[in-house]
Amino acid sequence: MSTTPDTANDRKIVTFSLAKQIFGIDMSALIEIREWDEPTPLPNVPSFVKGVTNLRGNVIPVVGLAERLGWEPSVLHARSCILVVNIAGKQAGFLVDEVNDIVGINVGEIQPAPAVETTMEESVIAGLVRIATRAKDGSRDENGSMVLLLDLDALSLTKHLDLAA
Amino acid sequence: MSDEFDDIQAIFFEECTEGLTTAEEGLSAMQAGDVSAETIAGVFRAVHSIKGGAGAFGHSDLTAFAHKFENVLDEVRANKIVPTPGVIRVMLSSFDVLSDHVEAAKGNAPRPNDGAALSALEQVLANKGVPEGDAPAAAAPAAAAPAPAPAPAEEEEDEFGFRPVGVSLEDLDSPADEPAGWVVRFKPSRAALANAGEPLLTVRELEGLGARVESVDLSGLPSLRDIDPEDSYVTWVIAAPAELPESDLSDCFDFVAPDSVIEIKRAAEDVLPEGATEAEMDGDEIPFVPVTATVDDFMDLGADPAPAPAPVAVEAPAAAPAPAPAAAAAPPAGGGGMPPAGGGGGGTGGGGPAKPANEAAQTIRVDLIKLDLLLNLVGELVIRNSILADRLSPADRQRVELPELARLTRQIQDNVMSLRAQPIRQAFSRVPRMLRDLSVETGKQINLETTGETTEVDKGVIEKIGDPLTHMIRNAADHGLESAEERIAAGKDPAGTIKLSAEQKGARIFVRVADNGRGINRERVRAKAVEKGIISADAQLTNEEIDQLICAPGFSTAEKISNISGRGVGMDVVRSNVEALGGRVEIHSVPGEGTTFTMILPLTLAILDGMIVRLAGQRFVLPLTHVLETIQPEPGQVKRTSPDNEVIDMRGEYLPVKRATEIFGLNDDRNIEDSLVVIVESESSGKVGLVVDTIDDRREVVIKSLDQNLHPIRGLGGATILGDGSIALILDIEALVSSPSRYTPKGLAA
Repeated sequence: MSTTPDTANDRKIVTFSLAKQIFGIDMSALIEIREWDEPTPLPNVPSFVKGVTNLRGNVIPVVGLAERLGWEPSVLHARSCILVVNIAGKQAGFLVDEVNDIVGINVGEIQPAPAVETTMEESVIAGLVRIATRAKDGSRDENGSMVLLLDLDALSLTKHLDLAA
Repeated sequence: MSDEFDDIQAIFFEECTEGLTTAEEGLSAMQAGDVSAETIAGVFRAVHSIKGGAGAFGHSDLTAFAHKFENVLDEVRANKIVPTPGVIRVMLSSFDVLSDHVEAAKGNAPRPNDGAALSALEQVLANKGVPEGDAPAAAAPAAAAPAPAPAPAEEEEDEFGFRPVGVSLEDLDSPADEPAGWVVRFKPSRAALANAGEPLLTVRELEGLGARVESVDLSGLPSLRDIDPEDSYVTWVIAAPAELPESDLSDCFDFVAPDSVIEIKRAAEDVLPEGATEAEMDGDEIPFVPVTATVDDFMDLGADPAPAPAPVAVEAPAAAPAPAPAAAAAPPAGGGGMPPAGGGGGGTGGGGPAKPANEAAQTIRVDLIKLDLLLNLVGELVIRNSILADRLSPADRQRVELPELARLTRQIQDNVMSLRAQPIRQAFSRVPRMLRDLSVETGKQINLETTGETTEVDKGVIEKIGDPLTHMIRNAADHGLESAEERIAAGKDPAGTIKLSAEQKGARIFVRVADNGRGINRERVRAKAVEKGIISADAQLTNEEIDQLICAPGFSTAEKISNISGRGVGMDVVRSNVEALGGRVEIHSVPGEGTTFTMILPLTLAILDGMIVRLAGQRFVLPLTHVLETIQPEPGQVKRTSPDNEVIDMRGEYLPVKRATEIFGLNDDRNIEDSLVVIVESESSGKVGLVVDTIDDRREVVIKSLDQNLHPIRGLGGATILGDGSIALILDIEALVSSPSRYTPKGLAA
């Protein structure tokens, strides 16, 4: 699965598309990937919380990750799916446009996110990393692409939502 | 090491708690007149287990005290000490000190001062069951004389010479029932264990023949740290009925490795059991030294007016020739088999090995989280089951397999649910102790009557009613009951009675604390409430409303603030705790006759009886406990009193109407005449009409908290998963009806 064969890869990330960008989250946080299924809407919550859904008897929130990150809301299509992740013991589903790949990265290659002005209370981008990607014909694209690594804890879904309570 | 050690120790403390509960139940039963052998043995086993574990973990204070307590219990068990009310009183107070010792061992409390309790136990031991002042002390000097060391008894060996007396009697007692029964000594060897020779099975097999474990010699047991789990340290002494042929007994040992110690003897030729017990108690290996004391003691007993059952005297000669065979048969008490039970439990120490043989009930400890997970999965199974059924053709649906599967799944679900249910006894168990303390503090005599303690309630409920119950009991003891003088003056029994009861009615559980005291003094309560500014001076209140004032925050009528209650927080806490559980408190009082507080609680925190309603097309669950009635409004029945407020005319009574759709910011342009109005009753706002589209169904739903993965949302009490796997949100009526008609628009709330 990994596109880089060398063994120095010490961390696995899941990459996905959102608002035409490539994002990555730590593989260890991922619980499963599910098809999009309309969640039950919740009253009195921020608009990025799409609602709650049933994950094997657990009620988990479904978050529009694009809205949460300040992008235009995702438009649902056939490849829309939900990444179910574990954030500090709580489970949440993220609506993403498409899941791409699982890649190994070298922690040393992660660059800090440039300090740009952000409208968000705290940067949710843990860093940037370049990964090799497959071109259309299957050959290696030498330039690769940039992946925005998300800091899941900084998304602070619960803290953010507490204000609504 | 230390982590594992702590884990094992945690198990030990859990067992202590259980042991204390068992012991207290037993002692309470004894106090109530049940002095049957099982009851006494139950208490003995509980205390003995605590002692054993405490020893293994090096809690020397606890061990020493439990040991002394156990000695007295052992004498009682052996009919050596008659459990008179006086003796039982001493044991009850010793039990309290023992509980304190356990707390101290946990590090939760300072080491209790056990001097008084110890000397009371001493006294009982020395006087053969006659506590000071309880009966003529005639027997005391005689009894004290033959026993060389009952006096100091601070250390274990102090009463060394005295101890075996009781045990030998016990051994004499059993032959009285079953003349010259068999005594089997069984010490599996290391090799026996290595060959998977499970000693427990052997013991069970013997028990199947009617034998019972007399004692377990643990003296060879090293400290926990030094235990070799594969070695064998324990010796069992088992009594078998006399009529069994010896071959039956020896057959049981057919598969035990030959180098194990197996002795099968007639009881008359063997006093070893006492030796073994002796060694077990005192960790000493010379059990027969005090045999002379044994004989002497028989004389004493014969003369002793109190216990001395006739058979004892008759059997005395039988025991007299004991020394020789005993000496012959006594192997070094070391070695012995480490029983698998002890190996598995680790921390069970002394009590562990004996337990499986003695107790029929087998239990297993399971993490609650695992149970909840199981419950979730089973719930999901039920849902998948019904989805699958929907996919099938009607003909297939009727076939026997599917209904069978559905029934099985339901049964699994019910069973998993019931795993969380526990007898409410667990919550009641601390009451007797509390009342004993309260009785001392207030100087009032208080009798406790408990009923319905086997009523099963969800574990979560049990955990949460402890505090309210404590307050209610304290309140009853302190405020409810009068002093003895007052009671006599009122023509009542000087001892007050508090009745504690639990019963299940439908999906609710009623826990009552009733006293037969003075009842609520309504004038005083009212005056106090006015003084405290809780009500205005001219408020018109019914008797019930006045009674309810007791639960108002900051209310206390105690003329002097006692140590027990009267800090003005008690009943307020009761009410808020109970309401937090979805229950309520009812007060019923008759002046001069007493007061009854009733906690009405849901049977489980996880299940709710609900009405499935639709709001703007979306399904919600309305808890049925709040619903009074439902009506379809006639044109004109709902009127606006302002642009944002509506009222409904209910048979001449105007009730406010709330639209949940507006509160939740849902789009709804439905006409009120096409909707239903559900009249709900809330604590804060009284009766309120709630507008819903339709009512779909009425059913029990499993409550899932929203904060497990998200956070609480105002207006919602949680969520539930419906039969088709979809989620419905549960409405929180209290929050809904007390909230303003319109929330901040969606999004801004964040």
